[in-house]
Amino acid sequence: MTGNNQKWLDHNTFHHGEFWDILKLVEEKEKKGLKISLCIPTLNEEKTIGKEVLILRSELMERYPLIDEFAVIDSGSTDKTLEVASNFGADVYLASDILPEVGNKRGKGENLWKAIHQLKGDIICYVDADISNIHPRFVYGLVAPLIRREEVHYVKAFYDRPLNYSSGLRSSGGGRVTEILIRPLFSLFYPELTNIVQPLSGEYAARREVLENIPFPIGYGVETSHLLDLYDTFGLEAFAQTDLDRRVHRNQTTNALGKMSFGILQTFFNRLHAQGKIDKLPDLETFYRRFEVEDGVYSQIAQEVIEEERPPMIEIQGYLNRNQ
Amino acid sequence: MTIETNTKDAALESLLKDMPSLIEGLRENRETYLTDAVLLGEIPSPTFGEEDRVRLALDRFRENGLDDPEIDDLGNASGILPGSEGSSSILVMAHADSVFGSDVRHVLNVGSDYITGPGIADNAIGMAAVVGLPNLLEKLGVHLKDDLLLLINTKSLGIANLEGSRGFLETKQRPIRAGICVEGAEQGRLSYSGLGALRGQINLRLPSNYDWHRFGAAGAISHLTRFVSQVMEIPVPKEPKTKMVFGEMHSGSSFNTSPRSGSLRFEISSEDDEVVHEMETQVNELCEQYSMETGIHVMMEVVAKRKNCGIPFTHPLVKTTRSIMSEAGVTPAVDPSTGDLNSIILAGHPGVTLGLTSAENVREANESIKLEPLYSGMAQMITLLRAIDQGLCES
Ligand SMILES: Nc1nc2c(ncn2[C@@H]2O[C@H](COP(=O)(O)OP(=O)(O)O)[C@@H](O)[C@H]2O)c(=O)[nH]1
Ligand SMILES: [Mg+2]
Repeated sequence: MTGNNQKWLDHNTFHHGEFWDILKLVEEKEKKGLKISLCIPTLNEEKTIGKEVLILRSELMERYPLIDEFAVIDSGSTDKTLEVASNFGADVYLASDILPEVGNKRGKGENLWKAIHQLKGDIICYVDADISNIHPRFVYGLVAPLIRREEVHYVKAFYDRPLNYSSGLRSSGGGRVTEILIRPLFSLFYPELTNIVQPLSGEYAARREVLENIPFPIGYGVETSHLLDLYDTFGLEAFAQTDLDRRVHRNQTTNALGKMSFGILQTFFNRLHAQGKIDKLPDLETFYRRFEVEDGVYSQIAQEVIEEERPPMIEIQGYLNRNQ
Repeated sequence: MTIETNTKDAALESLLKDMPSLIEGLRENRETYLTDAVLLGEIPSPTFGEEDRVRLALDRFRENGLDDPEIDDLGNASGILPGSEGSSSILVMAHADSVFGSDVRHVLNVGSDYITGPGIADNAIGMAAVVGLPNLLEKLGVHLKDDLLLLINTKSLGIANLEGSRGFLETKQRPIRAGICVEGAEQGRLSYSGLGALRGQINLRLPSNYDWHRFGAAGAISHLTRFVSQVMEIPVPKEPKTKMVFGEMHSGSSFNTSPRSGSLRFEISSEDDEVVHEMETQVNELCEQYSMETGIHVMMEVVAKRKNCGIPFTHPLVKTTRSIMSEAGVTPAVDPSTGDLNSIILAGHPGVTLGLTSAENVREANESIKLEPLYSGMAQMITLLRAIDQGLCES
């Protein structure tokens, strides 16, 4: 297996620097007749969304027509996110307005899922809105392998050159949740998936054919479930990953990471069961419990975290009608 | 003569009439130059360390199809947009360096009507205006007879003393009709002369055998403050306009250790070179006197010295610029430049410095520009280019 891992790493791990010639990518894309949509999910991101829309639109739509559609899909921001985004020319949608007949659920995954219906591209590229050092590489680095290599279906971003040990500066690879939750779990159950440097990164691009065929957890589990479901169907070969150098974004508290891990674990165990890796699953609790101490008094806080899932888009009547 | 003046007036009149549509065009096409401003501005570019930012500017020159894009020995990036006749050229330049060091987080925020972040006003937006000119002119349907010589120059600020632009103009042997220096702020500024100035550093040092027991003995800070108050006694004339600014002072490193050395940076500027010279002599005399009376070493080091230079207020370039500004609804504020304009004028070319928009907190981490005034600020620059191109800025 180690040999295979190495082969995959060598063959399917890229650096954005390989794709600097955007003009060439545009030519290849047009030759293959591909359309690319960019989706940015948002919830109260007025600080960073303006720059993301400005830079990505003007570099990748105006200067080089690499992307054909630029959409911000919002969960109901109460700040100026929508105003700023449309000011700089993004198509702005409320997730709740898309496929209204299926109802409205709250969470980033919901927006990503509804994007499949709303957007027209053969390739959809998702980029989080909270990146403060946004640069065109965040998009072209992810769509390029899909344009160049037909067998690749899903491209993940990773950051900070964690593979470059020779510099002496060895960064940890993923974030905290990746390193102390996902990587151990993958090592136990899906060792091949440990080749993916940052399984939780919020930036990835994929082909419509695969996105419409997988379910979408609406919350924290969406990235994990994508990996597990696509791996189950296609194996590691369907994946690629691109080093996008540095990503600067807001830092989460440890509490928030705990809650996030709780959501991811629900997704993970459900997949283990569904894929026959474990036999029987008890009813999983949905309350995330932690302690707080104030003036020497301990009290427990319980927060409900339910990882609801949307079914594969291909099963939604509204989507099928759209395709006719 | 009168006939010629009349046709010139008519030509200018017609350029001014185009301004409102130019402003709209610049508003519609803002994405490209705002993006350049952000991408350039997020690359640290301290004076003497501008390489990375200049390289991006050069890439843009290439992408925009300029002739001869190149980086010279001083690190300046330049390129040429050929005009339809090309018998002479117009220089448009912006400095690449900023007062922020590489350790400062260079992150800019983009709002609907502002951009905030270190160096956006001085001078990322100015650079973006220069870098984006070829595309903008194309989109706006503006075609020039003259070649446009675009320059992103290094080593402008502080002790660099305009080294970049001076070097460029000394070596670039092209017929230059006029030059425009582009600064992000402040819209309405109009510089057509360079102010004579002296930048100096006072270095004060206790001798190694300093006698701390002697009556009146004190550390470098006490001496430096005493000395500075003496320098402040030097009379500063109102006429000719003269200014003395104390910009930076350093000494010591802790609460309770008397430092042995200190330094002060200052600038004297005056419309009259003779006044600068006299004040320099006086500071030198004070240094000598203080050293003799106290046994402390006090010396002035002249970091940079510049003569007054400029074109007159009545020069057609200045007159035309004023007409353009007032058409754009801007009240010109005449302000002699201490910047790269000096290099243009000293090289024998007429030139002006323009500010593009209004800014706040310039040279602080929360430096900020307003977008709304930017469109008319850019329109004034492009209209001036057209006016120069049509020969409306020379007698
Ligand atoms: N947490 C959260 N993020 C959302 C939601 N809807 C859209 N988003 C966007 O999803 C992206 C990732 O969110 P974030 O909380 O930063 O998750 P993280 O990057 O995984 O820590 C950001 O662009 C959010 O603005 C939502 O309902 N909840
Ligand atoms: Mg985030």
